[in-house]
Amino acid sequence: MSLLKPFSKLPGINSANILLVEFEETFQQSLADALVEETAVTVNVRLAKSLPLPKENEENRPRIDLVVFIINLTTELSFQSAEASLKCLDSGFFLGKVCFMVTNARNASVPTERLDSVRKLAASLHCPLLFAEDQTPAGVTNAAERLLTILKVTAGLVPMTTALYLSNLTRCTVPPDIDQPTFD
Amino acid sequence: MAASFNRSGPSDLETSSVNDQSVSSRSSNRSVRVAEKERRKNEAEDPVVLALKYFNDVEAGTPVNGNDEVEKQLVLVEKVGYSRGLSPDAISVMLEFAMSLRMGTTLCPRVLKCLIPATTVPQEAVVRAVVWLGVGKIPATTQVLFVKWVLTVFDMIDEKDQLRAIYGFIFNFVTDENLCPFICHLLYLLTRKESVRVFRVRKLLELQSKLGRQPFLLHLLSLYKVFCPELVTLSIPSRMRSGFKNHTSPWKSALLFVQKRNGSQVSSNVSLAVTVKDKTSTRKRKHHHLELPKLSSVVNKPAQTETSSSRKLVPLTQLHSFAQLLENMHRIELPSQMGSLLGSSMALHYLDCVQDESALLRLNFWLGYSLHEEFLFCSDGGASQYSEEVLQFLNRLLSTQHFLQEGFSSSEAFLYKFLTVWDGALYRPEILGLLSNIPVIPSSQIGRLLFEPLMQLFFTSSLFFKCGLIECLNNMLLKWLTWHSVYALEDDLDISLHSHTSINMTLSGFKDSVMELVLFVGRLASVGLQLEGCHSVLLSFVLDFYETACDTFLKYGLPLVLLPPSGVFYPALLASDPVSVDRLAYIMYRYKANLTSAKNQEKVTEQAFHISRQTFREFNSYIAVMANYLWNSRVFHPGMGVQLEKELLLKSNVPEYWTSFDLIHHPAFMSYAIDFHRKCWPGRKDMDLNSIKLSKPWGWYLEYLFTQGFDGLKLFFQGNVRQQKAQGDGQGDSTPTQAR
Repeated sequence: MSLLKPFSKLPGINSANILLVEFEETFQQSLADALVEETAVTVNVRLAKSLPLPKENEENRPRIDLVVFIINLTTELSFQSAEASLKCLDSGFFLGKVCFMVTNARNASVPTERLDSVRKLAASLHCPLLFAEDQTPAGVTNAAERLLTILKVTAGLVPMTTALYLSNLTRCTVPPDIDQPTFD
Repeated sequence: MAASFNRSGPSDLETSSVNDQSVSSRSSNRSVRVAEKERRKNEAEDPVVLALKYFNDVEAGTPVNGNDEVEKQLVLVEKVGYSRGLSPDAISVMLEFAMSLRMGTTLCPRVLKCLIPATTVPQEAVVRAVVWLGVGKIPATTQVLFVKWVLTVFDMIDEKDQLRAIYGFIFNFVTDENLCPFICHLLYLLTRKESVRVFRVRKLLELQSKLGRQPFLLHLLSLYKVFCPELVTLSIPSRMRSGFKNHTSPWKSALLFVQKRNGSQVSSNVSLAVTVKDKTSTRKRKHHHLELPKLSSVVNKPAQTETSSSRKLVPLTQLHSFAQLLENMHRIELPSQMGSLLGSSMALHYLDCVQDESALLRLNFWLGYSLHEEFLFCSDGGASQYSEEVLQFLNRLLSTQHFLQEGFSSSEAFLYKFLTVWDGALYRPEILGLLSNIPVIPSSQIGRLLFEPLMQLFFTSSLFFKCGLIECLNNMLLKWLTWHSVYALEDDLDISLHSHTSINMTLSGFKDSVMELVLFVGRLASVGLQLEGCHSVLLSFVLDFYETACDTFLKYGLPLVLLPPSGVFYPALLASDPVSVDRLAYIMYRYKANLTSAKNQEKVTEQAFHISRQTFREFNSYIAVMANYLWNSRVFHPGMGVQLEKELLLKSNVPEYWTSFDLIHHPAFMSYAIDFHRKCWPGRKDMDLNSIKLSKPWGWYLEYLFTQGFDGLKLFFQGNVRQQKAQGDGQGDSTPTQAR
């Protein structure tokens, strides 16, 4: 199994590369379309169903600046696939170059335990956890915008900050049960 | 046949409305009646009517297995139920058929599932079904299914007086372990002051000791406590799990579908009922899931209501002016659907000044339930196809909160949950608006409930969101401070922020919360400015916030002064737009006013608060930095906030680097200096900005700047900087006056 490494290649000038990993391969396409609208920097979007990535393209694959795991909460499989794919990432990625994006979090049919386990996973890896409304165009645009905000930092395009610094501010925390706050 | 079951038809409606209906609404009544007749004529040939006739007449004990007839008819009814919804008569027939178990228990759940009302549910049918529930042959799961159905369609039951009349009968079912959570919910919706009795309270407490502190029991008990505090001595936690968790999404989505479908057909009729208080509108009030119900009363004939209680109740619907409201303040009958209060200004006036907490409790309950159902547990995964409607609802909620000048606790609880799954864009203005209305949160909770989710959103979102959030937090701070200045008790240091929020807070607790908030914004702003390259729009919103924060003592009487962090101070001081520098000067001027007046008060009264030396020291160093940068041309002076090594500065080859940020060379003011230079010495060919630095032109230059509208600088200058006339070189030297 080949590990995907964050620092094995040189960065391109004024460009950023993002890898979207989604088991269902439904949301990633529309998200990619929204991501490449960015004009200030050249954004290369790579799509994958799961990791590891195939060996043959290894040579001409650019350096990946941000890996995004898209997890659809309505299926258990989506979460399991992401969990398995995480093992194919070099530990260097977890210094701020991985983030999770969750869809369908407000769906009634989603068991709360599943969201909790995603939260726990993201918190244990010190990664940010973003929520996205994948069913509306405005939601997709917003999700792309937020990913770009992170991507620009992880690609080193924002002066005075680094991926690790940002992830320290945005990493997911496991909230205790909000239902029963101990107020009195 | 259907006609014979039409108990709650227009005739009933008519008698109830004769008392207080205007002529115009009576004529609209007539048009409804005509339409009804037309409809009935069409139905005569309808196969559904035949199916209903079958279910009405079928004999008890008819076998189900192998009975094609019943299968055929049921499929027909199901089809109509799921597509168009069933008429009130059809519902009573089918409910009666199912609950009487005429054809055994197998068909019962299936029938219940397709009971989707098209308009309303006749109360009598429900009452009869509840009676069948008591007969006791129905399996437990079906019983639960029935009560769930009643809860789902509760808002569509045409009247509730008879249901309230059998309150005691329904109450008996709480002892049933399976039914208890659902019965409690139903009782919650039906409870009135008269229903609260000692023996019922005792029964509930007994159940609680048996089942543990179940949320459904606590909710019902809390309502009892509100009505009769003397009967319930139990302490109820001030915040509980929001709402009863009786999600019935299959019904809800079916109901929604039917209502949407019918909505297009009935919409023409809706336009007839323009006024909120038109009684005919009650029959078609719920076409959309988030539409506010029309204000309607549960009491139809005011003359003969409440025989048990001595006082006469007046429904809110019958009040048309503020004067009437004042007269009847003590005997208002609340509507059965609390959500309708949001739509009526009269009701809001009542809510605002009413002492009785039950109205707010019920409103909060309804609101919490609908917010939860619609935003956190969407059946369609949140596709906002009803967004127009949702926007209207949220805006109505916002305007209600603005009217009452406080947030509802249920919307607060909802927000805490929603923030953890928010994408930062969905209904952004409305959510941020609601967020700025939340009451003060204890400092021990504020980080977990508010700051953590907000921080994750803030740093991953666009500049636009960052500005919006800072503005929202500014409004939140403003509201908290305003509440404080209104509710603070004069003689005591303790304040009670209860009004309608049930939090009692000591002054020190309140101070801690405000401090947490200001420090949090300080953190967000420092790092946000750094990430966004000190964007001047973001800086402007941050300075907005500090314009509120600098005046906590003088304007709002809160003994607390918190300075901006250097991550905000320096970006503002070194900003490239003069407005930011000017605003910073104004903010520092206000800080000085607050600090000196606090100092004076400390001298006069012993009881006054103590501001730490650290704050004064920090403030003085800020003032010194500002004066040295802007007036004295002493940048990077040793001992100040920003220091650079001398060698490094020399290496940079900037000539006279120490003057780089004075009012002449500051990037924000350079253009003013050039303009002044031109005006002052129109003939001069070569521009020498340093000549402004001479004593006389420097004074003129300041005057010139002050005439350009930099009032902040002017106030700061007058308050802090003494002009010293040095004799030898004639250059003015200014020293900052210190606050301590």
